[in-house]
Amino acid sequence: MSSKGPAARNRTSAPAGNGSDGEHSSIVLGPRDRLVGQLYVEGDLRVVGTVEGELEVTGSVEIDDGGKVTGPVTARDRLVVGRAGSLKGDVRVARLVVQDGAAFSGRVSMGKAVEAPPKPVEPAKELEPVKLPDAAKLPEAVKVPEVDKPVQPVKPVQPVKPVQPVKAVQPVKAVQPVKAVQPVKAVQPTKTPQAKGKRR
Amino acid sequence: MDVQEAVADSTAVASADDNGDAKRDGQRKFTMGPNDSLEGKLVYDGHVHVDGRAEGEFKVTGNLEIAQGATARISIEAANVNVKGQVEGPVTARDKLTLGKNARLSGDIVVRRLQIEDGASLNGHVRMGDIEQQGSGG
Repeated sequence: MSSKGPAARNRTSAPAGNGSDGEHSSIVLGPRDRLVGQLYVEGDLRVVGTVEGELEVTGSVEIDDGGKVTGPVTARDRLVVGRAGSLKGDVRVARLVVQDGAAFSGRVSMGKAVEAPPKPVEPAKELEPVKLPDAAKLPEAVKVPEVDKPVQPVKPVQPVKPVQPVKAVQPVKAVQPVKAVQPVKAVQPTKTPQAKGKRR
Repeated sequence: MDVQEAVADSTAVASADDNGDAKRDGQRKFTMGPNDSLEGKLVYDGHVHVDGRAEGEFKVTGNLEIAQGATARISIEAANVNVKGQVEGPVTARDKLTLGKNARLSGDIVVRRLQIEDGASLNGHVRMGDIEQQGSGG
């Protein structure tokens, strides 16, 4: 008896510990509970009591069994308004379930754009600037600028000049001597002009 | 033109009444098929089943159902509205609006009762309560 007793207690206390870790809490507002103000929950929320204010939940919200919410609701997962639930307020949710008999009025925005704003509680500690050491290492790696010198050898491109032989094409102009057909003296330069002239 | 043809078809389909709704409460039923399309204003004394594509204004004394796969850019007024497809436009349900799990509704809605199944998508303003009865509604 005495040995089994503590083990059983440990097991029962474990789930309660999970709730307080803040990783995924589950809150229930009972029929006699009443919240006026703003509530942010990382986890799920079930409302059976009365809420007047703003609800923001990372998990699911369920309003049922006489639960009554007046105010905007944001649920990153699902909002369920049960047949005995009442919700009056604008809603931003990924999924929405309204059961027959529920009372619901307000603007509904659904879709993948439901990304809740940053967490209002517990921030700041993780914001320490770790970037400085990285910046110190960077300049060492950048010291490799030896690439400038080898750029000189680009000059020896001279061999391009041998284009001269193109001048040899000039002799074609020698066709001018066609006029020279009249004066017989022009025959001296080359024999070809004569031949052309006679053919005409 | 299309409307008249559709009405003519509807009488034929109503006699077939595969759902049995017509017999149950004695009201006529106007049924569109998946390949049908309707543009304009439809005032119908009875139930309407919308499939395919619809655009315009629907005033129905009975129930109106938007089938899965249907695309409707219409303003709706009916007793009960059951949406399984895609609807863009305002919806007034004198009694109840039901959004099925594949429904996509974008528009402001005025209803007496509302049921939204998990998976449905809704963007718009919801107003619940008693709806002003119109004298001509009968």
